[in-house]
Amino acid sequence: MNTRMPDFEYIQPETVVQVCSMLSQQPGAAVLAGGTDLLVNLKHGFIKPPILIDLRKITGLNLIELTAEGARIGPLATLKKLSTHPAIVAKLPALATAALAVGSYHHQVMGTLGGNICQGNRCSFLNQSAAWRQARPACHKTGGAVCHVVPGSDRCYACYHGELAPVLVTLGALASLTGVDGSRKILIEDLFTGEGKTPIEKAIDEIITGIDIPAEAMSGESLYLKSAIRGSIDFPVLGLALWHSPESKRYRICYTGVGTRPVRAGRVERLLEGHDLHGDLVDEACELATEEAQPVKNTSCPPSAKRHLMKRMLCRVLNQVMGES
Amino acid sequence: MKQSIRLEINGQVHDLLVAPNQTLLEVLRESLELTGTKRGCDHGACGTCTVLIDGEPHLSCLTLAVAVAGQRIMTIEGLAQGGELHPLQKAFIEKGAVQCGFCTPGMILTAKSILDEEEHPSEDSLRKKMAGNLCRCTGYKKILEAVVSSAKAGLKA
Repeated sequence: MNTRMPDFEYIQPETVVQVCSMLSQQPGAAVLAGGTDLLVNLKHGFIKPPILIDLRKITGLNLIELTAEGARIGPLATLKKLSTHPAIVAKLPALATAALAVGSYHHQVMGTLGGNICQGNRCSFLNQSAAWRQARPACHKTGGAVCHVVPGSDRCYACYHGELAPVLVTLGALASLTGVDGSRKILIEDLFTGEGKTPIEKAIDEIITGIDIPAEAMSGESLYLKSAIRGSIDFPVLGLALWHSPESKRYRICYTGVGTRPVRAGRVERLLEGHDLHGDLVDEACELATEEAQPVKNTSCPPSAKRHLMKRMLCRVLNQVMGES
Repeated sequence: MKQSIRLEINGQVHDLLVAPNQTLLEVLRESLELTGTKRGCDHGACGTCTVLIDGEPHLSCLTLAVAVAGQRIMTIEGLAQGGELHPLQKAFIEKGAVQCGFCTPGMILTAKSILDEEEHPSEDSLRKKMAGNLCRCTGYKKILEAVVSSAKAGLKA
């Protein structure tokens, strides 16, 4: 199969200012980092940007710095660099675990933190060739007016599967967004709209220029667990990130693969807060976890199995935490 | 609009006119007739299109040709030197790790990049890093034996 992508212009600006200016002037332009998500979607033909703006000539966007004040990671830091950086492995191990979980080694060499966070939402009716999709009416995400997963729905249910974002949510990370008018910082979880069609909340002229992780995150413990059909190269059926502080007995828990955005298990967090973990509490928390999301069947995994996995994976992770304390 | 680019492949420089939407895979196979790099799935899930760029394995089906001007690209054709097979290529033959051969270029290049970086990789590390290269013929056992034996021989090339 030789899938020629739609025609586009290609440009390699050298500064963030140039990128933002181009984005503001060219509606529909796409930014390119590693390309392991964008190019596949171009080959499937459901996005047709008139211009690709390659970010990789811009210096300073791939740094990884850890200090006493916290961590700063550039959006172009590759997943391989993240997973092998000694300070990340030591102080923020869940980030390294999640980076190693993504795709294959090749994807980790090419893929970037920013790209993984901003990856397109997925659905078994979307991520198919143009020929395959022609057999059905176009869905909300491809310019049509139906959802093949939730019939009668007026919105898109395409599912978020990024693996770095749930870890970053549990670490309390902030994203710097830079546009023509300057920069702003928002919590990573506020980067997501919760809407499958346009999953990322940002102005058209903005790009992510940094991820900041507060120092507090490094005083706790972080874990990431992935469930997938194959042991390698697959998107998660379900991913679970957990951060906890043994001193203050606080927990932050976030799932991926179970909704249109990373799903924070807020009620479970509040149930556990302030308590030492013990068998009954863990059981109650895991049962409650199944109510934190309403998955739909837009991948091969039925919603009931996803909810069961939410419970089982949390159980495993909390037992691991219990065992360590 | 086509762009004029200069690609360095296996130590040789090529001046080419390419459209922005042409992948490195397409340019290698169709403009340069370097057909050792294979088109399998064409969307990054099989690894047969693996090339080394600045020593690291990349999926050439997901790499734009216009994006890699100025980088050192190595394809499977660049491995043997002076008519002599690379030790990895010899190991694959000796261990019976080649059946149809379609996955072989990608397997060898990925293995080379791992062994160039890690002097004594564990079998676990090899399995994990080579998991992006799929094989429908061999069941992977002989491929792993070939790479492990090359690692044990202290291969660094």
